[in-house]
Amino acid sequence: MTARPPDGTPMTELRVPSGSGGPDAMPAGAGAGAAGAAGGASRSSRSADPPAPPGPAGSSAPAGPSAPAGPSAPADLAVPADLAVPADLAVPADLAVPADLASPSSPSAPSGPPAPSGPSGAGQILVGWLRWTWRQLTSMRTALVLLFLLAIASVPGSVIPQEGIDPAAVSQYYAAHPALAPVLARLSLFSVFAAPWFAAIYLLLFLSLAGCVLPRTFRLAGSARQLPPRAPRNLARLPLAASYRTALPPAKALDSAAWLLSARRFRLHTGDGWVSAEKGYLREAGNLLFHVALLALLGSVGIGGIFGYKANRLLVSGQSFANTVTDLDQFRPGRLVSPSDLQPFALTLDSFTAHYITSGNLRGQPTSFGAAISYTARPGGPSRRDVIRVNHPLNVDGVRVFLTGHGYAPVFRVADGSGRVVFDSPVPFIPVDQAGLTSEGVIKVPDAQPRPLGFAGVFLPTAVDVNGRLQSAFPAALLPRVSLVSYSGDLGLNSGQSQSVFQLDTARLRRLPIAPRPLAPGQSMKLPGHAGTLTFTGYRQWASLAITYDPGQLPALISGITAIAGLLLSFAVRRRRVFVRAQATAGGGTAVTVGGLARSDAAGGFETEFAELTRQIWDAHAGDGGGAGPAGNGAGPSGRRASGRTENEPSAGPDDGE
Amino acid sequence: MFRLPRSSRRAAAAIHARLACLNREARGVAAGAALAAATVLALAGCAGGAIGESTVASNGKSFVAGSYQTTVYPRGSGPVSPDVSGTTLAGQKLALASYRGDVLVLNFWGSWCGPCRQEAPALAALAARFRPRGVRFLGVDIRDSPPAASAFQRNFGIRYPSINDPGDQIALAFQSTVPPAGIPTTLVIGRTGRVAARIVGQVTYSALGKLIADVAAEPA
Repeated sequence: MTARPPDGTPMTELRVPSGSGGPDAMPAGAGAGAAGAAGGASRSSRSADPPAPPGPAGSSAPAGPSAPAGPSAPADLAVPADLAVPADLAVPADLAVPADLASPSSPSAPSGPPAPSGPSGAGQILVGWLRWTWRQLTSMRTALVLLFLLAIASVPGSVIPQEGIDPAAVSQYYAAHPALAPVLARLSLFSVFAAPWFAAIYLLLFLSLAGCVLPRTFRLAGSARQLPPRAPRNLARLPLAASYRTALPPAKALDSAAWLLSARRFRLHTGDGWVSAEKGYLREAGNLLFHVALLALLGSVGIGGIFGYKANRLLVSGQSFANTVTDLDQFRPGRLVSPSDLQPFALTLDSFTAHYITSGNLRGQPTSFGAAISYTARPGGPSRRDVIRVNHPLNVDGVRVFLTGHGYAPVFRVADGSGRVVFDSPVPFIPVDQAGLTSEGVIKVPDAQPRPLGFAGVFLPTAVDVNGRLQSAFPAALLPRVSLVSYSGDLGLNSGQSQSVFQLDTARLRRLPIAPRPLAPGQSMKLPGHAGTLTFTGYRQWASLAITYDPGQLPALISGITAIAGLLLSFAVRRRRVFVRAQATAGGGTAVTVGGLARSDAAGGFETEFAELTRQIWDAHAGDGGGAGPAGNGAGPSGRRASGRTENEPSAGPDDGE
Repeated sequence: MFRLPRSSRRAAAAIHARLACLNREARGVAAGAALAAATVLALAGCAGGAIGESTVASNGKSFVAGSYQTTVYPRGSGPVSPDVSGTTLAGQKLALASYRGDVLVLNFWGSWCGPCRQEAPALAALAARFRPRGVRFLGVDIRDSPPAASAFQRNFGIRYPSINDPGDQIALAFQSTVPPAGIPTTLVIGRTGRVAARIVGQVTYSALGKLIADVAAEPA
């Protein structure tokens, strides 16, 4: 009868009840042993029969539905043991992340540092502490705390002005809070993302994530490959179960069930008298995907930090610049970026246009900005045109050029005392007031003779007189005026020190006795003492450009999306198992039992799927085998949307009959 | 490639300081990105504001100053200088190739740049000293206006020509081989057209003089 052991031997079956445990049996299986002991050796002649533990000989005893109550009290305990094959049923392991992650190395991790008992004390204590520390660090709780800390730590970065983003605002902050600023500087709060404490949090988080994700990834990969467990002995005890009789011999019944299940893409594991099928491995795959993507995300972020760079350049319309270090205002390379790695594009700002609301409450608010540019991706390459707008960067060879600011650059021509023109160029002024774009700037003429000249002044796009003071009433240049204070003397440039082009060091300068007077375009100002003449010849607009190259950005985006997809997959798909046992009955037919088990809590819908499968299996058996048996039960298996362990007469019947 | 012993200590210190700074920067950037990824969209909304709200992106200096660093290429191993040309401040066309056969000292400068102004007298003196030995000097004036640059040359008595290169095309041509990594940068190019040395940062009369003398002494 147990004629066909396709891959499992009949013995494997029998060992389960003996308590020694199949490969999957859990320690809790002690109860199973007790239950099985009742049947003992007497069963060895046949494979176990589903409902009744007492085996073929003990047919008279407590048949069918009432089986659990019958033979022995421990049988109840035996149930979990049987089912414990999927050990993780109780705690869906794949969801119980914290528990899992808490102990990447050994599953039975103690919660505190182990107290070594061995004689080789100190070394073992150290190792014990190290292991404990590592376990704590890589626990999910620690990772979450670190992530949260990171979020909190970056708050000052958006509240307090940052050196790397807006140095001007930092100096303003120093001026406004002279007592507080040095304290904040000491705490690195002006450069939060470069602060040691921020780096500490980030590195710990990185370590924690890598330490928890890597081992978990390997384990998930293992679990995604494993075969379904062997069918439990007593399928009737599964959450979903159905049974019926068929005229087919057991081997054939199992064959057709296996064929049907495998056609539905179940993974099969067959043994003597049983078929075990499992589906939903995508859950593991999704989980795996999530973890791998998380690692990839961390990696991409690292790549961006190592191989990327950021730079700024202020460009007056009509001017060009090349993406080379000498031509950048500010250059912040990643760790392994050298100047020769910069993409060799060149860019000309053809024109800059800004539109403002001209009336109503929002008068003066900008409505659009556009920087019309032409660029060549590499020297000698074709010239292309584009318009860079806010949040619409230019992309050249993976480098993105953003528009980050704009302003005015009045053009000055300065003739020195000898009458020679020694300066003629636009000078970018920096807006100090957004409503009217009042801007400040300095002009340095270090090569004027007989003495260098310096000017500090203000540019008003639309100058209006408010109570004797000039102000700018509108950001567009409707009535541009410039007003300058003049100096002569040592600008400090020849000392070899690099100095800001936006600041004038007046320490060794003498203010020239000439009252500041607003100049209109075209107007000149003759400096006293034959120092020279300054002419305000007109104005241009400038745009500030942020150049960023982050090779990790796309990988980071892809890994982020993949991680979310993996997570969704692992939530949406559930592992479910279907077991089929077929056993010849004395009456000449075969008793078929089908059991179903979904591994996760959120197993909604499995009942329907199981009922459908059962019906199909039953159909197959009925069709092939002349349908003797199934007719016996009115509803057919499809009717038994087995709720819990409701046993149905037909299944009990044949056993009884023996 | 090796660094001159003379400058090595200073250069190393400068580079270390810079690297330390970059490391922190890199970490900061990475951390920022990680955070952005973690809080997914929290920060994304910030970019939508008017650009006028951010003040101009100005660092303290508004140009990248070179930290002093000298690179010397063993003879015959330096990269070949690219064949570029430009227009001088005086309005003449000038090609780098026309200097083949002579030693060429190429200096990237701007009249607005403090270190350039301080090294200018040394360059003027060296140009005069080495002229009889077939060494020629050429300036590349970047981010400058011709009147200011000409006034600079008059004031410092610089007689060699300078290419006016507002778009930085010459520096770009050198980018893949010996990028000028700051202003000022000086290249010494041998008679065969191979770059023999690069000095990033302000040169001194003695150090640059020795370099030029070595290269000029090489047979063509």
